[in-house]
Amino acid sequence: MSKADILQSISAHKAAFPAAPEIPSEELPAISPEQQLDLFKKSLTTAGAEIVELSEKEIDDYTAANLPGALDFTNPEIKEEYAVAALDKLNKIERALFAGRFGVAENGAVWLEDNNLPQRIIPFITQHLILKLDAKNLCANMQEAYKQIHLNGLGFGVFISGPSKTADIEQSLVYGAHGAKELTVIIAGK
Amino acid sequence: MTPHAKKAKQFLADEARTDWHNQTLWIVRKKRDALAAAVPEWETLREKASIIKENVLANLDVYLEQFEAAALKNGVTVLWANDAAAFNQIILDIIQKHEAKNIVKSKSMLTEECGLNHFLHHKGIDVVDTDLGERIIQFRGEAPSHIVLPAIHLKKEEIGETFHEKLGTDKGASDPTYLTRAARKHLREKFLAADVALTGVNFAVAETGTVVVCTNEGNADMGVHAAPVQVHCMGIEKIVPRQEDLGVFTRLLARSATGQPVTTYTSHYGTPKPGGAMYIVIVDNGRSKHLGNPKYVNSLKCLRCGACMNTCPVFRRSGGHSYGYVIPGPIGSILAPQRTDARYTDLPFASSLCGSCSNVCPAKINIHEQLYYWRQDLSEKKQTSFIKRFSMKMTGFVLSSNSRYNFAGNMARKALKYLPHKLIYLPINAWGRGRELPAPPKQSFKQWYKNNRKNKPQ
Ligand code: SF4
Repeated sequence: MSKADILQSISAHKAAFPAAPEIPSEELPAISPEQQLDLFKKSLTTAGAEIVELSEKEIDDYTAANLPGALDFTNPEIKEEYAVAALDKLNKIERALFAGRFGVAENGAVWLEDNNLPQRIIPFITQHLILKLDAKNLCANMQEAYKQIHLNGLGFGVFISGPSKTADIEQSLVYGAHGAKELTVIIAGK
Repeated sequence: MTPHAKKAKQFLADEARTDWHNQTLWIVRKKRDALAAAVPEWETLREKASIIKENVLANLDVYLEQFEAAALKNGVTVLWANDAAAFNQIILDIIQKHEAKNIVKSKSMLTEECGLNHFLHHKGIDVVDTDLGERIIQFRGEAPSHIVLPAIHLKKEEIGETFHEKLGTDKGASDPTYLTRAARKHLREKFLAADVALTGVNFAVAETGTVVVCTNEGNADMGVHAAPVQVHCMGIEKIVPRQEDLGVFTRLLARSATGQPVTTYTSHYGTPKPGGAMYIVIVDNGRSKHLGNPKYVNSLKCLRCGACMNTCPVFRRSGGHSYGYVIPGPIGSILAPQRTDARYTDLPFASSLCGSCSNVCPAKINIHEQLYYWRQDLSEKKQTSFIKRFSMKMTGFVLSSNSRYNFAGNMARKALKYLPHKLIYLPINAWGRGRELPAPPKQSFKQWYKNNRKNKPQ
């Protein structure tokens, strides 16, 4: 009965502790939408991502010309096909495109969750990840970001900021450790 | 010499490596400073993190039950382990139940603490560590020397040599991109074949039953989503009460750890994948007892960011392996003695008490004060050497009386002048190893002040 033992030990020992403090709430300084977009782009560049700003109707032409073979997972047919694909097939994906729900200005992170993803592994297993995002859907920081998502009952969700990276060999930065080697973020609504 | 001093000496034998280690960690510290300074509300965030964790510790049993109930509702199996042995057995049972052969693991200091890899190895199961730094040291049969930068003690030539042997990379090749690509290829095969994926946990949200894992490499996600069975291993103190609290901690963690505004991936695992199984293992292993000690309870607020290591002048110049405990550096030196293991009683003394650790800690843990408390407690329990205790007693005797102090100062100035060097630097004088005393002044400060200031007009 480990659970009972542990809980019993906690309640026996926590008696030494003063009453639980209340967690204070705080107002954060507001920043304008323009500032948010600037900061978002700067953060993403630092994180090693490529940024493209386009109007909604330019996107298809742009991807056809510059990101050939990209699998567009906002397309229900492609999404359905890959929902049942085996790992071997997923491992051959070169480029995968998703629509991110929103982005975070202070760190360039973009939120993706189960209902964007036919299978959870795709944004990681693809060699090149492309995230499409509406310029209007930005928030200032992670505290604001967590107000926009609902973890309750959510299967899987992830903030992605930049391509996969490591500096484990002598602190030299290398992109493409295990996840995507490249990240392109398309900001729509210029 | 204490065990720490002995091993630090070995590390210091390679002067060029020590300098590199020292300077590299200092660069990480400076990156952290720049990012912290760019957030105007940084200090408020630290304060808030500390208060949230205090609230967690004061209600830990309530939050853990709430967490378990929410996780069960998500279709997760929750298991509890009192200690390392129970934890290792639980993992073995899961592996056997699913008839798993291939196990991958992303970074988890808890599994290091419990000796999981070692335990499973003896049961004929080999775990593949998938964090690049951890894979490197696993190939070499070493322990991590830093909780965030596990291979920081190695040079790229050594890693090149290891990869040549284990992965067949070109002899003499040491380019970090080339070596990283080779590891990527090797570990992709491991991910695709994985039956069970193990991870650590950065945060566990009580109200939703979600576990959060932060990585830059994407190795936790590659394993978790590729393997049919995912297992997340957490210490009881990883709880945060609410989803919104994650906003505070994710703003602090990567900035403090590596000087990035956030890790590349901040992954939230709630339910098993379709057709898969998800386990969360909650481990005590001494933590609940720790709660009952008001002097040391704050160390349970640790986020394992590593900032106190990067800033520590002793850590930077002695290397993580010199501490001999799974968590090295300042925080390790206050966690290790909790284990009441005689091997670790020298660690609270492996510090200059400069306080830099407490200043950078995102959870505002009073690390240097706890180091000092440990010194007092261990001296009281006579767990320090006789020489140290005797000399401390004598120092106390001298310093507590004005006349004894004056007399001793006088004698010391004479003695240092006339006694032979060999006698002053007897082996009993541990301080004198590697240090030279300054030339003794002719007069004491008191005498100097009397002659020069006392009778002069201001
Ligand atoms: S004690 Fe503080 S600074 Fe050190 S690893 Fe833990 S959270 Fe980071």
